Amino acid sequence: MASEGKRGRLSLPGTSGNGDEGIIARVSNTISQSPIVYQGKRAASDAAFVTKKLLKSTGRAAWIAGTTLLILVVPLIIEMDREQQMNELELQQASLLGTPPVAPQK
Amino acid sequence: MAATVPPPTHVAKENEIKIEEKIDYLNLPCPIPYEEIHREALMSLKPELFEGMRFDFTKGLNQKFSLSHSMFMGPMEVPSQSTETIKIPTSHYEFGANFLDPKLMLFGRILTDGRLNARVKCDLTDNLTLKANAQLTSEPHMSHGMGNFDYKGKDYRAQFQLGNGALFGANYIQSVTPHLSLGGEVFWAGQHRKSGIGFAGRYNSDKMVATGQVASTGMVALSYVQKVSEKVSLASDFMYNYMSRDVTTSFGYDYILRQCRLRGKIDSNGCTAAFLEERLNMGLNFILSAEIDHRKKDYKFGFGLTVGE
Repeated sequence: MASEGKRGRLSLPGTSGNGDEGIIARVSNTISQSPIVYQGKRAASDAAFVTKKLLKSTGRAAWIAGTTLLILVVPLIIEMDREQQMNELELQQASLLGTPPVAPQK
Repeated sequence: MAATVPPPTHVAKENEIKIEEKIDYLNLPCPIPYEEIHREALMSLKPELFEGMRFDFTKGLNQKFSLSHSMFMGPMEVPSQSTETIKIPTSHYEFGANFLDPKLMLFGRILTDGRLNARVKCDLTDNLTLKANAQLTSEPHMSHGMGNFDYKGKDYRAQFQLGNGALFGANYIQSVTPHLSLGGEVFWAGQHRKSGIGFAGRYNSDKMVATGQVASTGMVALSYVQKVSEKVSLASDFMYNYMSRDVTTSFGYDYILRQCRLRGKIDSNGCTAAFLEERLNMGLNFILSAEIDHRKKDYKFGFGLTVGE
């Protein structure tokens, strides 16, 4: 009896403590194990993965497009601009001197 | 129709007169050689891209004779089985001698690694031309020679080819209308026991050139060049090989400006290339070449200088 009481007394704080933790743990467990949280977590990680992939592929696409444009378009623009400048210069010279220009000035 | 509806503009009138003009089928222009039917497309789409540095110098000794020196430094691709390209840095010097005369042209090139290249173009009569090409190397079985007899008629051209390794070929191209020419070829390579036949057609007007070629080797090549203006032309081509089942399409532009010539192209293999020839001064050209292959991660950039001519 005594031992039972002792055990009970001894066990009481333990059980009460367990009960306290149990409440928090139960709450946290119910939260953490609830399907909503689980699904939310999965969705978040999926979203992060997809965004990462998307960013990576857009970055790669942008890199390819950028380098391609740099190779194909930039020299073209520069050269056309130069040509136009030269034409303007020639026109100016012609109007100033009143004679047809002999050689294109550099 | 022309009588009932008066043409609204002068241009339309001119066009109608052009259409009504009778085509004289006995007086057609001479077509361009069979092997050069893709000339315009190749000019725009296949510039001489290189990687590294090159320097070319040509000096005329007199009106007919000139010497050329050229130097090249840069990585050279080595053919290998793996998909990755292996590059070995190389440098070589090339010495050349040219003899140019309206009736006779001789070209000789010798490289420091022992390759010798010789070309002859000789007008035997007004219509018959002999072209010969020989390449000698220090490696066995890599030397080859080739001779062509070209006959130029009033509205046709015929060519007979002879090469080492028992290679025989003949082709013929005929103008059908003032714009359209059709041709065919046969060849027989005795060493490899192969023979083939091919057909080609070419339509050219002032504004555009369209060509098509098929051969029994499985090759189908179509090309189209549109001349947007005197300075600008756009080109596209399509290559299909029935045997290896690979298809390539490319699209390119060709700008010829007063001080430079710029060629750019992009193809369906993800390969982008540009080639710029800038005229710095009379007889001094600066060359920039760029080629990017995104798929193979192969990037080639080169620059060069051409002095003389």
